[in-house]
Amino acid sequence: MRLKAIYIFSMFLLLGLIFVLANSPKFSGYEIVEKTKLQNQQGNEDFNKMMDVLTHQRCMNCHPSDHIPKQGDESHPHYFGMTRGEDDHGFEATTCNTCHQSENNMSSGVPGAPHWALAPASMAWEGLTRTEIAKRLLDKSMNGNRSHEDLIKHMTEDDLVLWAWEPGVDAEGEQRTLPPVSKEDFKIAVENWFANGAVIPSK
Amino acid sequence: MKISITVNGVVKALEIADENTPLLWVIRDTLNLKGTKFGCGKAACGACTLHVDGEAVRSCSYPVKFAEGKEVTTIEGLGDRENPHPVQQAWIDEIVPQCGYCQPGFMMATAALLNKVPTPTDEDIDKNIINVCRCGTYYRMRKAIHKAAELQADKVMNESKTL
Amino acid sequence: MADKSKKKVSRRKFLVRGGLGTIGVVAIGAYIFRNPIRRQILGMVNSLEAPYTDNTDKPMVWFEVTSDNTILLHSPKMEMGQGTFTGIAQMAADELSVTMNQIKVVHAASSTGNVDSFATGGSTSISGLWKPLRELAAMLRVMLLKEAALKLNIGVDELSVADGIISGNGKTLTYAQAAEGVEQWEVPDAPVLKDIKDYKYIGQPIARVDLEAKVYGDPIFGMDADMPGMLYGAVVRPTKIGATFVSADTSGAESMPGVIKIIVEDDFVGVVANSMIAAEHAKNAIKVTWNSIEDLDTTAITEMMTVGNGNSTIIQQNGAAFDEDDEFATLEFRSPIGAHAQIEPNGVVASVEADNAIIKISTQVVSLTRKEVAKRLGLDTEQVNIVPTYLGGGFGRRLHTPHAVQAAVMSKAVGKPVKYFFSRKEEFQHDMFRPPTHHIIKGKLNAEGYLDGLEHQFVSGDVATDSALVPNVLTNFLGADVGAIRGGFIQYTDIPNFKSVYWHVELPFATSWWRSLGLLANTFAMESFIDEMALKANKNAVDFRLRQIGEQDIDVRLKNVIKAAAEKAKYSEEVVDGRAMGFAASIDANTPCAQVAEVSIVDNEIKVHKVTVAMDPGLAVNPDQIRAQCEGCVIMGMSAVLYEQMFVENGELTPTIYGPYQMALMKNAPKEIDVILLQGKDTPGAVGEPPLGPIGAAIANAVRRLTGERLTQLPLKLSTES
Repeated sequence: MRLKAIYIFSMFLLLGLIFVLANSPKFSGYEIVEKTKLQNQQGNEDFNKMMDVLTHQRCMNCHPSDHIPKQGDESHPHYFGMTRGEDDHGFEATTCNTCHQSENNMSSGVPGAPHWALAPASMAWEGLTRTEIAKRLLDKSMNGNRSHEDLIKHMTEDDLVLWAWEPGVDAEGEQRTLPPVSKEDFKIAVENWFANGAVIPSK
Repeated sequence: MKISITVNGVVKALEIADENTPLLWVIRDTLNLKGTKFGCGKAACGACTLHVDGEAVRSCSYPVKFAEGKEVTTIEGLGDRENPHPVQQAWIDEIVPQCGYCQPGFMMATAALLNKVPTPTDEDIDKNIINVCRCGTYYRMRKAIHKAAELQADKVMNESKTL
Repeated sequence: MADKSKKKVSRRKFLVRGGLGTIGVVAIGAYIFRNPIRRQILGMVNSLEAPYTDNTDKPMVWFEVTSDNTILLHSPKMEMGQGTFTGIAQMAADELSVTMNQIKVVHAASSTGNVDSFATGGSTSISGLWKPLRELAAMLRVMLLKEAALKLNIGVDELSVADGIISGNGKTLTYAQAAEGVEQWEVPDAPVLKDIKDYKYIGQPIARVDLEAKVYGDPIFGMDADMPGMLYGAVVRPTKIGATFVSADTSGAESMPGVIKIIVEDDFVGVVANSMIAAEHAKNAIKVTWNSIEDLDTTAITEMMTVGNGNSTIIQQNGAAFDEDDEFATLEFRSPIGAHAQIEPNGVVASVEADNAIIKISTQVVSLTRKEVAKRLGLDTEQVNIVPTYLGGGFGRRLHTPHAVQAAVMSKAVGKPVKYFFSRKEEFQHDMFRPPTHHIIKGKLNAEGYLDGLEHQFVSGDVATDSALVPNVLTNFLGADVGAIRGGFIQYTDIPNFKSVYWHVELPFATSWWRSLGLLANTFAMESFIDEMALKANKNAVDFRLRQIGEQDIDVRLKNVIKAAAEKAKYSEEVVDGRAMGFAASIDANTPCAQVAEVSIVDNEIKVHKVTVAMDPGLAVNPDQIRAQCEGCVIMGMSAVLYEQMFVENGELTPTIYGPYQMALMKNAPKEIDVILLQGKDTPGAVGEPPLGPIGAAIANAVRRLTGERLTQLPLKLSTES
């Protein structure tokens, strides 16, 4: 019996250990809180890095809320009265591509990248809070019906998005300001944020 | 680099030292077509406007490498004294130019506009025609653009009759 | 020009070029300088049209008759959009009895043609050439008729001429045939000009003679000029105001692809390369050390440009001075630094050899450029041939073109022709700007609500002073800058007491001639003030003006344009459907002009819908081109008064590109411009600048009625505008 008792005890202990090792978070209120906290901290950091970029003028200048593209670090309205037009590409005969080509022009200082255009009106970010931008980003009715995978791909691979880190020189020949986060860190932040459920911090 | 461009209907095979040379300078200096003007070199004034595959382009800010295999039209190819383009005819009828330097760019921009919007409203003109004229010929230009739209419509009608 | 058969008749000489059926004729005129007391002169400078200033003593070609019976008219005046070529073609065609198609106008080159010894500018081309050119054309007609009479063996009296074909007794000869083979021409006495009513072209709205060239993109501009074997030059220019050249490190540039030579002179560094792009790249690689002055900003410039600084000269005075105890209304006005911003950059092609130089250039000053190039190269003036091109805009920017000297030095250094032109940034930073101004205007109303006293004190940077074009001795003698004071005079001479005082302040950067000179800013200030006085007196702005203008000829003409503009525009002080009218008038170079601007506020910005212009330029040689000048002045003027402004930041003039240097675009231009031309004298007067006068105040006065706000600074911005 003693042996049996030891056996049973050992079995319980083993099972207990297995449970503890395998499922402890789900079983411990304390652990869950800790994990959530960790996740939030990491998630917030990713979110903030991502938003530091999205709210930088290199991105924001082409996500206007008034249909007017902006220029420069002080985000002045695009000169000569250019606006969104019918299809985000300017006017019928004077389009974005009248001046902007698929790459930066180093002699004129006119920036360029493939499919140069304004972000669609539904993706207007100008004047929004970071939370509002994120909601708009994730809302399929606003973001061009993009899934999370689509969004990750768009934000980490699209040439026009990545132009922000290769913005070329301005009309004076001066290097345009870069976003405050490196392209690599931005990509990682975007991937992590989505991987962790694309949680929008409540604050 | 070797590059082939169709300019005003003629295929030009060119040897270009720097593929990023603005198309403007290839048109002006290599091909000696001086109607396309240099004004600012920053795509701001529009004096260098020409057509690439029918679209208005500011050629001071357009590297020649992008023109490979494309059709370029300059003011010299838009029309000539024997066969003026409706825009040129309207410019003559309304006696638009003063110093004349910016005018080819405006005429090319207008021709592109009429391709897209055959009967432009004043608002269409205001949005699309954003070149700079220092002599202040805008008042006559607006009249000429409306006139050109009429002339072009007449031309299209006459052409469809003769077909 | 090897022919030596010169004859002297009265004040005119003629040259006849034999062979090939071409003829040349030259006139010698005298520039008569008037010399009474200073204030009278200043008044005259403001109101007189300058005579044509031809002081060459060598026979030069005015006309050529070519074998296809075309008359080439070698113009001493440049065509920069103002339509001079068309006007002088009309004048010549009428006196020569040829059709407009038989006249071809070309720019006279300095080696062969008769170039203006002063400049093309000041709205003087048509008025200055009105008499001499028609006389020359008439003489040529008489000379050709005499030759035809000899050839046809018929008396001159029996000949008639039309469309360049001489006929009599059933026989005909073209002008070309009449001229053919003539070695010795008989020069007639002073010609009898045709009666004005017999002119076929003068007075008609003839299409511009350069219209087709400009519509089909012909290579007529300075920037289009080439020479065989031509290389490209660039010059390193400082970005800071007042910077002077110290030394250059050219090591980085010398080995760059396409670079032919780096040229380091005492006053500039240039690079010559085999393409424009290569020259530009090399230029950017040259490191220049500059001596620079303290960094300036716009505030410092504004402080300098304040009434009370510098020396003052009373340019006009009548009656008594203000008593300090009097109650008077005072307003201050300011105008900013303005850029010419002409679309064709300054450019030149120079070809220099051991004993001659050829310079193709867009310039308003052929003679000055010729002298400067000759001096720098150590050549005789006669060895330098300036070949002028059409100008892609002048506006006064090309009243000094010393880049011809730099191109010539570079050409000499490489032994090949060199083309050199400004980048747009260089255009903006090395412009010779319209100077900023400051005005203090005081006025006092009498019991009836009209002005008892009016005083204009104004300060301006240099316009004519320190210009290569006008000797400073003139400014020193007159005590005032003859350019800056344009429009600074009080035109309401029926006011009992008035005074205008000019203050001279020199700026640390070049300011100079900008179309209409002082007129734009001075009239803005004066006519805004007059309008405010009319409101204060509770009087109609038009009636208020009319009551206080004198009775001289020019006064009557001014009153007539004021009445005509008010009547045509149906001037009203009421704001209707959000639109108000503003009224202003000015006299410039003896041409009075009045304007009514219809303005509303759209999206918190000033929008000009319609401008009515009434102007009396005297006899209208080409009414259509005068209208075009009025339309252009209205739009260029509204561009300047609503949008344009140069700043000084960290010692640099900025902005350096269109866009940031905001100018009127198509969408800003009024959709209606109604021009009424009056003829208050029987000779042609100034046209190309006078309509720039009233536009600023006309707009500001309309805004005053719309918003109640008196805008006193150019560019005009609503206080509610961001």
